[in-house]
Amino acid sequence: MSEFDTAFGGFVISALRSSTPLLWVLLGEILTQRVAVVNLGVEGQMLAGALAGFAATLATGNPWIGLAAGVAAGTALSSLHALLCVGLKANAFAGGLAVWMLGFGLSAFYGIPYVGQKINGFRAFTLGPLDHLPLIGALITQTTPTVAMAILASPLLGWWLYKTRTGLSFRAVGESLSSAKALGFKTSRVQALGILAGGAFSGMGGAALSVDYTRNWVEGMTQGRGLVAVGLVIVARWNPYLAVPAALLFGGAEALTLRMQTSGVPISSHLLHTLPYLASLAVLILSYARANKKGGTPAGLSAVFSQSQ
Amino acid sequence: MNLSGKEPTMGLVKKAFLAFALTSLAAALARGAETKIGYIYVGPKNDYGYNYAMDQGRLYVEKNMPGIKTLAFENVPENAEVERVMERMVKGGCTLIFPTSYGYLDPALTVAGKYPKVTFMHGGGFKTAANLGTFFAGIDDAMYLAGITAGSMTKTNKLGFLAAHPIPQVLRNINAFTRGAQSVNPAATTTVVWTGTWSDPGKEAEAANSLVDAGADVLTGHVDSPITYTQTAEKRGVMVVGYHADAGKFAPKGWLVGAVWNWGPMMARIVKSVQDGTWKPGHIRGDLMAGDAGLSGFGPSVPAKVKDLVLAKEKDFKAGKAKLWMGPIARQDGVEAAPKDSLLAMAKLEGMDFFVKGVVGTVK
Repeated sequence: MSEFDTAFGGFVISALRSSTPLLWVLLGEILTQRVAVVNLGVEGQMLAGALAGFAATLATGNPWIGLAAGVAAGTALSSLHALLCVGLKANAFAGGLAVWMLGFGLSAFYGIPYVGQKINGFRAFTLGPLDHLPLIGALITQTTPTVAMAILASPLLGWWLYKTRTGLSFRAVGESLSSAKALGFKTSRVQALGILAGGAFSGMGGAALSVDYTRNWVEGMTQGRGLVAVGLVIVARWNPYLAVPAALLFGGAEALTLRMQTSGVPISSHLLHTLPYLASLAVLILSYARANKKGGTPAGLSAVFSQSQ
Repeated sequence: MNLSGKEPTMGLVKKAFLAFALTSLAAALARGAETKIGYIYVGPKNDYGYNYAMDQGRLYVEKNMPGIKTLAFENVPENAEVERVMERMVKGGCTLIFPTSYGYLDPALTVAGKYPKVTFMHGGGFKTAANLGTFFAGIDDAMYLAGITAGSMTKTNKLGFLAAHPIPQVLRNINAFTRGAQSVNPAATTTVVWTGTWSDPGKEAEAANSLVDAGADVLTGHVDSPITYTQTAEKRGVMVVGYHADAGKFAPKGWLVGAVWNWGPMMARIVKSVQDGTWKPGHIRGDLMAGDAGLSGFGPSVPAKVKDLVLAKEKDFKAGKAKLWMGPIARQDGVEAAPKDSLLAMAKLEGMDFFVKGVVGTVK
């Protein structure tokens, strides 16, 4: 295996790994914003998912149960956002902040006994002798279930959103609540579903981080990844098909900053650490230039923003 | 309450006994109040890192000194919150408080000014007050010994170091580790990756993976908790050297050894001096020689030959025969930092801002 193959294969898998928790949350927030609700609480939901996933894996020894617990915890916390925004018609930004703080506080408090505990994650994939193939070998042996599932989830959700009737209900509600209502859609139910789906996916993202990626629980371990995902929704133009490239843009840049250091590139690490944000910002500016002509923002969501101005 | 009605029925012996019981209870209470100690940690006490090491010190004091009660608060941020925690400890009867995180220094000075009868011992600071002193220990000798282990065990001659921020204490550890490795294996180099934060397990996992992909076969680090990089090393089948505390359980195969703190005895001496009334404000500084820092147990893969090499050097350090920062010391770019047979100046050590030769990476 040539050195280039190792380095490149390593980078590809590293970018995928870094992007995976982000990708889950991004997919979830796309669904939520598709029904014209913004949920800043994803950061807290991610933390709830990370802790629940870690705790369930520790208790049962089964990382799959851990992932399920993460999904459940994220969904449960997002139901608060649904109650606030859909049930009580509260401001989505305030509701999201409340969910975020609640998720952070609760997970920090209930997470104390889980600090320093050891869990066993997923076993590595193996294809026997094929493991040593250049590029593919590294991809196979180092890909974990949550990485593979996230990449599959993106086109599945894209298909669902654009090709099914329930997907249509999401899009209709996101474009215009009143028109959707007039057409006979149960708008409150659809909005609540959009928020709960976002909760399930962000819980999964958190569990992917704690159960699969790091096999560790640390207070506040999401470190802003949830909020980054909220921003990346705009980069992905609310389109599940574009979620993978959007998440890879950020995760890949993060992986690159670490790889540039290990390969001895003499650039200040402080500058390198800004790279993921700069890259996302650059794409955002470029895509806005086009999107302002073409659109892509659910009209109902734009209304949320113009109301709050 | 009126006890006089009962008095005639109470015999002299009973009275004496009651008096004795009451005075001993009062004495016990008084003594209890004297030796209630508060500990404050910036992170969780079970992180197998800095806070864990401090908490092990607390447990040592509690176990080895009779009549001591300790209180511990974890996850206390370095802001006004820690002042409130200290006030609460004082009101709860603590007469000695260990604010263990660097950022607690100024809040501790404020609270110390309000409660002159309570003693404060801050971890690592450089300020004192009438009732505030500091304690810390140099761990670089232990890091050098861990470096010898890593340098002896590596097959790729590439060691990986994950670090949070380029501050002097971190740079000292990286340089000590590298000098130790190079003392037995001049071909060994240490590649440094900055994560830019004390705690981000996701980034730490990825940094560890990058180092392994770049060929490193021994990892070590200086972030809050060693758990993530230790587990990632184990998962990738490479070796790992720990820092802060023994995290061997997270890498049963790959664990080599760790540079660890041993705060217990130093804390016990501080407690005793406060009890005796001999305590004075000042900076208590320990080291390998005094036993305040040292090595954890070796992992199963370390052969006796390497252990002997490390332990012999430890003996030399302890006997004062060897000095870690003795020249010649060359900087990364080859410029001389300390000439042959002369020690690196104390100021340069305390404010270290460079890498030694053999480190791959950038300081700034």
